[in-house]
Amino acid sequence: MNIEIFRGYRQFVTEQGVLFYYDGYLSQPIITAMSETLRGKLEIEDRANRATRKVFSAFIEMMQNIVHYADGRWVGDNSAAPAPYGNVAVGRKNDRYYIVSGNTVATSHVERLQSKLEAIRAMTVEEIKAEYKRKLRTDEQDENSKGAGLGFLTVARDTSAPIEFLFEPITGTGNALSFFYLKATV
Amino acid sequence: MDDLFIAAERDKPEVDFKFSQHHLRLSGESFPENAMAFYGPLVAALMDYLGQTKDTNITVDIELRYFNSSSTKILLNVFRMFDQASTSGNTVILNWRCDPEDDTIAEFGNDIANDFITLKYNAVATV
Repeated sequence: MNIEIFRGYRQFVTEQGVLFYYDGYLSQPIITAMSETLRGKLEIEDRANRATRKVFSAFIEMMQNIVHYADGRWVGDNSAAPAPYGNVAVGRKNDRYYIVSGNTVATSHVERLQSKLEAIRAMTVEEIKAEYKRKLRTDEQDENSKGAGLGFLTVARDTSAPIEFLFEPITGTGNALSFFYLKATV
Repeated sequence: MDDLFIAAERDKPEVDFKFSQHHLRLSGESFPENAMAFYGPLVAALMDYLGQTKDTNITVDIELRYFNSSSTKILLNVFRMFDQASTSGNTVILNWRCDPEDDTIAEFGNDIANDFITLKYNAVATV
């Protein structure tokens, strides 16, 4: 990247209100370190008000989801990475915060994830809260879940607009892997 | 039964279970990678303690700044254990300490108070 391109990149990041951007391996120590940086930035923005707590919560759930569920560990050059890999941007634009994340998933999981996310998107705020409370109080365990299976619902609970998502097959993987984008707005 | 103290880490709460004084406290952050692995031994110690405690006032102080979804699920089960312990003649006082500005944590506290009516629930505002 030459200086001119970097200059353009910086400008773009400023225009998009990016507070925090990360692209790389994800693990609990990395998430913990990022969470401290993010909280510091959010507190400067907005002395720990309601919105920044929800941004923090959505961020942690999204990152831990990637560590728990990312498949393929695709690093983009055909080599398998030793750890979950993902990227995330947190920013503030038009008086709303956004958290956008990306990670690799097995294409065989796309349909299931899609229907799960569609179902949450179709819910009203009250329905999301009710479903969250119901799931919290049942022992039902999604066989594909390693956590409490509450990640997407928690993100949806913390947002002020429906969650957005996109799946995109990764070329050169023989349709084995797809890229999964998720966006939360607070 | 020995008291249990675990120092806080950046993603794990401070655990201060003074069983000898019937005063149990959790404070800080809770978003460990594996909530079951972290809370499993604590839940086991609590079960032991509650199993041998009768006709006692037990004070539980919760002052968590943030907890993730898997911690939330386990905490709910912990409060269910305290609720059940009340049937052995114990009185469990739950001091739910949070910033009233934090609707998520304040609401979860209200839900606990509504779900487990035997707990003597106090919402305590922290700054």
